[in-house]
Amino acid sequence: MSQQANASRSSLLKTEDWWALWLGLFIFLLGLVKLSGVDLVGWVVKTNTWLELSKALAPASDAYKESLSGFASLILTYLFLTVVLSIGVAAMGGKVGRFIGGFTVIFWITYICWIIGHYAYIAATPDKYEKLGIGWSLRLTGESGFIFALIVGLIIGNFWPSVTRFLEEAAKPEWYIKTAIVILGGKVGLYALESAGLAAHVVLRGFCAIIEAYLIYWALVYFVSRKYFKFTPEWAAPLASGISICGVSAAIATGGAIRARPVVPIIVSSLVIIFAVVELMILPFLAQAWLYKEPMVAGAWMGLAVKTDGAAAASGAIVDALIRAKAATALGVQWQEGWMLMACTTVKVFIDIFIAIWVFLLAIIWTRYIEHKPGEKVSAVEIWHRFPKFVLGYAATFVLVLLIGLGAAEATAKTLEEGVKAADTFRGIFFALTFFSIGLASNFRKLREEGMGRLALVYFVCLFGFIIWIALFISWLFFHGITPPVVS
Amino acid sequence: MAEHEKLPEEGEWFDLLPVEKKLILWSLGLGIVLLVILGWISLTLVPVQH
Repeated sequence: MSQQANASRSSLLKTEDWWALWLGLFIFLLGLVKLSGVDLVGWVVKTNTWLELSKALAPASDAYKESLSGFASLILTYLFLTVVLSIGVAAMGGKVGRFIGGFTVIFWITYICWIIGHYAYIAATPDKYEKLGIGWSLRLTGESGFIFALIVGLIIGNFWPSVTRFLEEAAKPEWYIKTAIVILGGKVGLYALESAGLAAHVVLRGFCAIIEAYLIYWALVYFVSRKYFKFTPEWAAPLASGISICGVSAAIATGGAIRARPVVPIIVSSLVIIFAVVELMILPFLAQAWLYKEPMVAGAWMGLAVKTDGAAAASGAIVDALIRAKAATALGVQWQEGWMLMACTTVKVFIDIFIAIWVFLLAIIWTRYIEHKPGEKVSAVEIWHRFPKFVLGYAATFVLVLLIGLGAAEATAKTLEEGVKAADTFRGIFFALTFFSIGLASNFRKLREEGMGRLALVYFVCLFGFIIWIALFISWLFFHGITPPVVS
Repeated sequence: MAEHEKLPEEGEWFDLLPVEKKLILWSLGLGIVLLVILGWISLTLVPVQH
């Protein structure tokens, strides 16, 4: 089998996918220990909307507020993450020293951006003006810190190649976002406990939306790139997977399935990343303007339209914050945080699961009909090898919360919620690290390489010509009329 | 990758093979049919309570 398949067979401690699962589970379980009366994660730093810098940071849990200053919890958070991530890097055979050097810079730049993003005049929503003692703000919500981190990453990545090379070892957006998604599963479990019916609807509809996305998108993009842009199947298939399904993983897995030269999916992946960043900067704001009355449509739209795990989850988080802020002023309703993000990640997770099945089908079609070589077979175990393992972590944290929470006494349920929410603070930090890393990895100069013009054009035509709009239609069809629970 | 490096040469282009046309038509056709069916299911059999 191809090198891609061999890589996917590696052990449980050798890939980012598995390490996202281990790390995410570890942090989540640390949060769960609170059920025994011991708080092992409450020291993690949390950032508040601030007017005085001294009030920006605090430990996540009230129990630690007496003993730990905000800055001390930030240092502890940095040290903890450096240690656990370095263990993963070492296990995966990476350069730990380089990682620590790069991660130190990335962490502090990212966190400074996160703090700036929470400055009251940038972040505050009108319902907070009185408490903060201000009369106006840009109303961008604290999640604007994500955008600052992205912009700083983009500037460094595109103008300072030497600094970028130094930071490369630690810029791992896919690892960070997958870890975040594993932790997020626990919070989604809390939502399911509170509003089981609504959660079930999101899952069902997410599933339906994916079937559409795969079958319709892939066929259209493949056809357009083969017929009108004159690409061979070797290029058209990874392109179709990358543009229509899910970016980097799909392009690489498809390249492996059809035995494309390894460089083909890698080039497609660079384009995917660049376009995902452009989408991330535009789509959430369009969603806020057009869809603030249809929040779940907005969340699902991000999951279907934005083509990498990192950028999609990032878009979901921004949409969640922007639309809640707008709904609070325009509609006078405060929706519970996280449901739009949940719609987005649910859709994305189903996409990732189906990559394995779709790529398996492509492998069969290619080996049997398009490039048949005698004696060659594709085995069903390939589905497992390509299955995204971090999704197992997402499911595990979700199920664990449900098992513990269903039928639990009120005190237990409350402690469970506190533990999960404290662990969830890490999720926010991993999101922020993802934003910066995405920016760093997006080298717009790649578009100037000869030959990239045609690839970029087919990408642009397909993505902005029909994929984004079909995604909007499908999201509307399955999610319109659904709103998150109201807080007040 | 170095700047201004050319993309690797493609093989010569050829028109869609019958199996490729079949893949496209089946995928698109199934997608549209399922869109109608699943859309109807989610709107009528499993509607959201407001």
